[in-house]
Amino acid sequence: MTRYLLRRLLLTIPSLFGLLVVTFLLIYIVPSDTAAAMAGDAATPEQIARLRHEMGLDQSVLAQFGLYLDRVLHLQFGESAFSHRAVAVDIAQRLPATLELTFFALFLSTALGIPLGVLCAVNHNRWPDFLLRFFSVLGVAVAAFWVAIMLQLLFSMQLGWLPLRGELSDEMLAPPRMTGFLLIDSALAWRWDAFADASRHLVLPAITLALGGLASITRFTRAGVLETLQKDFVLYERAVGYRRSRMIWIYVLRNSVTATLTQIGLLFGSLIAGGVVVEAIFDWPGIGSYTVQAILTGDHQVMLAVTLMIGVVYAGVNLLTDLVHGLVDPRLMETA
Amino acid sequence: MEIRITRRQTGALALGTLLTAAGRARAADPSTFLNGAQMPMNLDPHQVFDVPMQGVMLNAYDNLYRYENDPPEIVPWLADGHTVSDDGLLWEFRLRPGIRFHDGSEMTAVDVVYSFRRVLGLGMAPAGAFLPILKPDKVTAPEPLLVRFQLEKPYAPFFAAIPIVSIVNPRAIQAHEQIGPNGTDWAKSWLASNAAGSGAYRIDPASYTPLERLDMTIFEDHFYGWKDNPKPVRRIAFRPTKETSTRVLALLNGTLDCTDNNLPTDQVARINASKNAVVIKDTNMRTFIVRMNNRKPPFDNLNARRAFAHAFNYEGFINDILGGYATRDPTPLPDTLWGYPKGAKGYDYDLVKAKAYFDKALAEGAPMKRAIEIHVQSENEQSVQSAQLFQSDLASIGANVKIIGDTWGNMITNAVKPETAPDMWVHWVSTYFVDPENWVGQMYDSQFHGTWKASSYYSNPEVDVLLRTARGLTRQEERAPLYEQATRQIMADCPDIWVYNSMQLQGYSRRVKGRRFCTVGAGAEMRWVTLEA
Repeated sequence: MTRYLLRRLLLTIPSLFGLLVVTFLLIYIVPSDTAAAMAGDAATPEQIARLRHEMGLDQSVLAQFGLYLDRVLHLQFGESAFSHRAVAVDIAQRLPATLELTFFALFLSTALGIPLGVLCAVNHNRWPDFLLRFFSVLGVAVAAFWVAIMLQLLFSMQLGWLPLRGELSDEMLAPPRMTGFLLIDSALAWRWDAFADASRHLVLPAITLALGGLASITRFTRAGVLETLQKDFVLYERAVGYRRSRMIWIYVLRNSVTATLTQIGLLFGSLIAGGVVVEAIFDWPGIGSYTVQAILTGDHQVMLAVTLMIGVVYAGVNLLTDLVHGLVDPRLMETA
Repeated sequence: MEIRITRRQTGALALGTLLTAAGRARAADPSTFLNGAQMPMNLDPHQVFDVPMQGVMLNAYDNLYRYENDPPEIVPWLADGHTVSDDGLLWEFRLRPGIRFHDGSEMTAVDVVYSFRRVLGLGMAPAGAFLPILKPDKVTAPEPLLVRFQLEKPYAPFFAAIPIVSIVNPRAIQAHEQIGPNGTDWAKSWLASNAAGSGAYRIDPASYTPLERLDMTIFEDHFYGWKDNPKPVRRIAFRPTKETSTRVLALLNGTLDCTDNNLPTDQVARINASKNAVVIKDTNMRTFIVRMNNRKPPFDNLNARRAFAHAFNYEGFINDILGGYATRDPTPLPDTLWGYPKGAKGYDYDLVKAKAYFDKALAEGAPMKRAIEIHVQSENEQSVQSAQLFQSDLASIGANVKIIGDTWGNMITNAVKPETAPDMWVHWVSTYFVDPENWVGQMYDSQFHGTWKASSYYSNPEVDVLLRTARGLTRQEERAPLYEQATRQIMADCPDIWVYNSMQLQGYSRRVKGRRFCTVGAGAEMRWVTLEA
């Protein structure tokens, strides 16, 4: 088990280095000039040149990369060319909001997607199956921004049940920041008013973000369960008179979720990416809008740090997925 | 006694908690203005000078003179007056006595000197107007309340640019300065997230998240006093929204008091039909331009440029796409500014004329049929729509135009060299200071080549002379005819396509009263505003 994990962990190092190289080169190729954008509308060419020199942007690509790599190895991610704050501080301020939203959406997708997938499989080619398949195709096909606006119009504007935007009401005093995760901080501070308010703000963005994932987890679980149902051990369990629900939810499901688990790991990445749109629509103060702004303004340090950070989180989640894979199916650890 | 709660009861409890506050309409805080406009890239008014910065600098900082009213007038603010020598080189400003910064310390001329030296030392956006004519050691404080500027050469727009500079408190800043091999860093990292002003509102640095949120509270001891507004806004909460749709919904449900000042025209009727909000329309001095790179064929040919100028459907764009919320301006100057060439006709939309010029240019050897790129700001709908409309009309006369989605950052980067500047690109020119210099002066004097404002790379020695002479005179009545003459010549040379002068559309909650609009600050100054219950 330890060896298996260690091997997986070691494999992430070249992946992250590759990610760093590719991102750096892509940013270098894109003809954006942070100095020009930073100098502002009224700047003269001399002002821009001076800034470019101060920022080291007039050095060779190799020198710039070497400088950056050295800083990353010392866990220094530089400062934003625009906010002039340490990128690590900005990310630490925003990342918890994105992770809170992503994990909650992932939880919704998984907690609903697996039972719905099982329901489809056990009702194979009957109306619940057709209905859920229709909705799962819809879930994948419908654009998140459209769903988000529809949810806002219905639940915020018409019914007034849920807030339109943000992660906490303006009149609500935020709990003391401990972890940065608003729900956890509210609970730790015993601030249930803030907890309820933050939960209400989380609902619509999380549902919007979860829809695509919910659809794909439902489909993967359905396919896995259908395949397992054809196995001999299922026939045997039926023959010896196992209770159907116990057989399906414990034995069949455990043998069917390998592909679903892989999907959950992959889904995490797409939820972070999809979060950019959802964060923008719901004004969620996460890493998405910060990244978009950095791209639009050519803020290289931010782009590099955010990409690396997402890479690290993604690698961590995939490591976790591998671990769960190994626990669900110990044969995988042996073959690895 | 042991209390047992089932899973179902726990779920019901959670749902109950979640929806306890559901359905509650937000009671608008009677003293907090919830501002949905964009925030600047950081909080330092000496590093950033753009439209979003106005919301910070006009409220948290003060200037020697300030633009007020509509049309804009430059009025004494921290200074109670100024003098200028006959040769236009020596300017003196006298400060009002007893002005206090937010930390309680008194403002003196030394603080003003520090502020101007910091602007020049940082050399960022607000410095552009001063760097060519002012050296840091030529800003001095001969008396505690007297600031003296000795210019290198006469430069009339100097006075018009004075309101660009916010006066900062050196006692708050200097403790954070880092001294390196190139001298001080002017604490630019610190002031980017903090404040050192004297303005009507005090920034709360703890509330600040870049581009996400910022709170300001009223400064009771502001030098201007509050007699003219007995019920001012007590707190300004910046809560910028990224999406137009969310911004408008938030305005309608009362969770924002204003949108940004770039409201799409298709939202106007919807907002005006609501009980909570209204759209305020203000004519500002923001001109919309399609640039042509005069150094790249076919745009080095006058007939080619005229062909393109006649192929833009000005009225169609203004009336059909912008819903009439703009005024046609056929010149590079805003039509409300002095120096505007009265009666100027400009180019009209006429595809027959366009085709005739197109054929003439073709006969002269201009590569009229080559693929021409027009760069637009992808995130700006209006920029894209203008290019699409133009593309279809140009196709009808035989021009092959490709629309390239781009970002503002990229475009201004590429615009600094004629080789990398796009064939054409679409942008606005905002009012940084109210003087023809802000438009024709910096756009068409060849000495500004290399800046995005002069990115059509137009060059006409006669125009250069006119603009440079106008810049060196101090009296407006002497300068105005020179700008008029230069503008007419520029129009005849047709280096760009001038489309309209903007109308600023901004959604406001109906509880907002007393707002004053000035084109320079885009109506962002909050000290005049009250919130009705």
